[in-house]
Amino acid sequence: MRLQVKNLTLKYPETNNHVFRDLTFELKTPGFNAIFGPSGVGKTSLARILTGDLTGFSGQMTHQGMMTFLYSYNLERLPGWSSVGKHLIKVTPTNRHDRREALVNVFGIEDCLQQRFSQLSLGQRNRVNLLRYLLQEFDLLIMDESLANVDEITRETILLKVKAMFPKTHFLYISHNVVEVAKFCNDIVVLRGVGRRPQSTIVAGQDARLGQEIDPHKMDRTMLEIVNASS
Amino acid sequence: MLLHRRIYQFLIIYLMAVGCLLLIKYGFNLSDYVVPGVDDILHTAGAEYRRYFTDVMNTLVVAVLGQIISIFMAFLVGICGRQATWLGSFIKVAAYNVQAYPIVAIAPILFILLGDGLLTRLLIAAMICYFPLLLSIIGIMSEPVADIEHFYRVTGRLRWQLEVKVRAFENLSKLTTVIAGSTTLAMAGTIVAEFIAANAGIGYSIRVALYQSDLAKILVALFLIGITLSVYQGVLELFGVLIRRTWTGK
Repeated sequence: MRLQVKNLTLKYPETNNHVFRDLTFELKTPGFNAIFGPSGVGKTSLARILTGDLTGFSGQMTHQGMMTFLYSYNLERLPGWSSVGKHLIKVTPTNRHDRREALVNVFGIEDCLQQRFSQLSLGQRNRVNLLRYLLQEFDLLIMDESLANVDEITRETILLKVKAMFPKTHFLYISHNVVEVAKFCNDIVVLRGVGRRPQSTIVAGQDARLGQEIDPHKMDRTMLEIVNASS
Repeated sequence: MLLHRRIYQFLIIYLMAVGCLLLIKYGFNLSDYVVPGVDDILHTAGAEYRRYFTDVMNTLVVAVLGQIISIFMAFLVGICGRQATWLGSFIKVAAYNVQAYPIVAIAPILFILLGDGLLTRLLIAAMICYFPLLLSIIGIMSEPVADIEHFYRVTGRLRWQLEVKVRAFENLSKLTTVIAGSTTLAMAGTIVAEFIAANAGIGYSIRVALYQSDLAKILVALFLIGITLSVYQGVLELFGVLIRRTWTGK
């Protein structure tokens, strides 16, 4: 499975400013890859182009072996007419009930299942929302700040366990957190703004796995590379 | 609580209006023939309240039926008109244009065609409260709740029933307010219809009182209309709160 973007150019209608001009990058390996960059650089626009929600661009986009793209973001809500547990059961495909139970455990949301979505904290809401996406059929899941309100320790536990559960699946992790992308992601597409050439650079991340220790020096070097690439 | 508030509000407004009328009467030294005194009003109330109450109930039944028809129609058309298709756009444009016309102006045509019976009153009541309801419902139903609908859309689960359910749930307060508010329109529509040509209802009784130049009767009729409408609207609002509590769990 491979995701390739070539000479992607996007300009919103009735504006003179480009969001992307000849953006080119390639993600070859499955697992956690990231899109990193400052606010307004076009991370969400790129995600929406990948999922087909945004049109009007030029350039090529090839995704070999990938059919179903899903896009999740941290502001999503569940309907409020029944409990979180009932909603999760309803959106679980028939053969995935075991996976749901395992994920509920990994995400630490057992106590939330009887509550309505509006009664949850922001972090719990993020977890519940991401969980229901992981129950679906997908080849690429774009996580746009999907765990933004979750505390660091829980986020680390979730990311490491999700990586272990879905080793062959593509994830595209959108985040502003340089430590997080450097530690957990494999390839990090750093978007540099439309005036820069090239508009994106790929930095190799530490791709941390469950039970694996990360060398702090390598981690520092990766973070420096990301910061240098984006500045 | 809502019911009490509605009744208090009406009583305050009604008493203020009657007070103003009496101030004018005594200020300008008007005769009892023009503006009746308190004794006259109370005497008329005692004599007419049973008949007028039956008339108000008659009018209210027609108004409620008209309102139910218009709610049903408004939801049906609003759900069809919520989509960004040519049919949806056509329904929206048609609704906006038709509602700009004062429906009550075509009431005489209905009386000529259908006579002065129940059907005409019902039709006018339904038509008068239908268009404002339709505009509100189209507005609510055409507005996507993106942060909820996104998941269902990208996973192929967003059927029209779910879309309508999400939008109705997210706008439950607005919907109950609009429906409770449309009661006044339905009642006004029915009274206007009775006032124009019908042979029953409180509108008809007011018309008779008008020909007799009997302001006391009109004041009694207005009191009964107001108090009945306040109770009905209060009950509707209570019903809305109950639905909201059951549905949202709050």
